[in-house]
Amino acid sequence: MTELSDREKREKDLRFRDEALRWLPDVARYALSLTRGEPNAEDLVQETFLRAYRAWDTFAPGTECRGWLFTICRRAFLRTQTRERRQVACDDAELEALAAAALHASAQQSGYGELFAGVDLADAVDRALADLPDEFRDAVILVDVQDQSYLAAAAVLGVPVGTVRSRLFRGRRLLQETLLVHARDAGLVGGASDTSAGTELST
Amino acid sequence: MNEMRPFLDCDAVMRQLWDYLDGELTAERTEAIREHLALCSRCFPQLEFERAFLETLGRTRRRHANCDVLRARVVAALRVDGFAA
Repeated sequence: MTELSDREKREKDLRFRDEALRWLPDVARYALSLTRGEPNAEDLVQETFLRAYRAWDTFAPGTECRGWLFTICRRAFLRTQTRERRQVACDDAELEALAAAALHASAQQSGYGELFAGVDLADAVDRALADLPDEFRDAVILVDVQDQSYLAAAAVLGVPVGTVRSRLFRGRRLLQETLLVHARDAGLVGGASDTSAGTELST
Repeated sequence: MNEMRPFLDCDAVMRQLWDYLDGELTAERTEAIREHLALCSRCFPQLEFERAFLETLGRTRRRHANCDVLRARVVAALRVDGFAA
C-alpha cells in the first residue's frame, strides 16, 4: 500500500469531514434505534465513524454516503450482539396494507380517524418504535425515520427489496395498532365526534 | 390527449397506498392512484390517515437534532486515528 502525501492525506480528511461527518446526526439517530439506549448508541456512532474513516478509500465518490454509513453502523452493531436475532414470519406486504385499511376503518368507528393529525404522540411513538420486533423496526427506522428508499434500506439490511417492503408494512401496522391502543387507554380523542373509545380495535 | 389508464378499484389502491405515499411506484401507476384518490370518498380518508401517520413517524427524525457533544467525541477519536481536518 502506498503512503499518501501530506496533500493527499489532507484532501482525504477534508472529503471525509464534508461527505461523511455531515451525516453524524442521522447515524446517531440510527444507532439510537438499534441500541435502544443512548450510552451504547454513542459508542456505536464512534465505532461507525472510525470504521468508515479507515475504509474511506473504498467509498465510491458520488454514491450515497449516508446509506454506506448506515450499513457500517448496522454491521458494527450486529458484531456486538450475542443474542439471536429473532426471525419473525412476514406475511405478504399487500395483505399488510389491506389490514392497515381495516385498522383505519376500525379507528374511524372508534373516533380515532384523525388521531395522527390531531394529537402529539411523540413519546408514544418512541416507545412503540422501541417495542417493535427488530426486523420490523429496522425497516421502519430506515424508511420512515431516516427517509431511505426501499432499495437503499435493502442495501443496508442486506435483504431483497420485497422483504423490506413486507417488514416495513408489518411494522407500520403494528405501530398503528399500538398507538391506537395507547390513544384509547389514555383517553385521547382523535378529532371525530364519536367518543366510544372503548370500542375494540381490530388486531 | 386521451390516454387510457388501467382501471383501479379501491382494493387495488389500498394494496398500494403505502407504496404510493413512499414514492415507490412508476409514474403511470402513481398517476392512476392519484386520479382514483381524487374521486373516491372511501379511499381518500385512508390516504389522509396514512399520510398523517407517516408524518408523525417522520417527526421522530427532527426531534433529536443536537449532536454537538457527540460530534466532538467522534472527531477526537478520529484524531487519534490520524484524522486532521
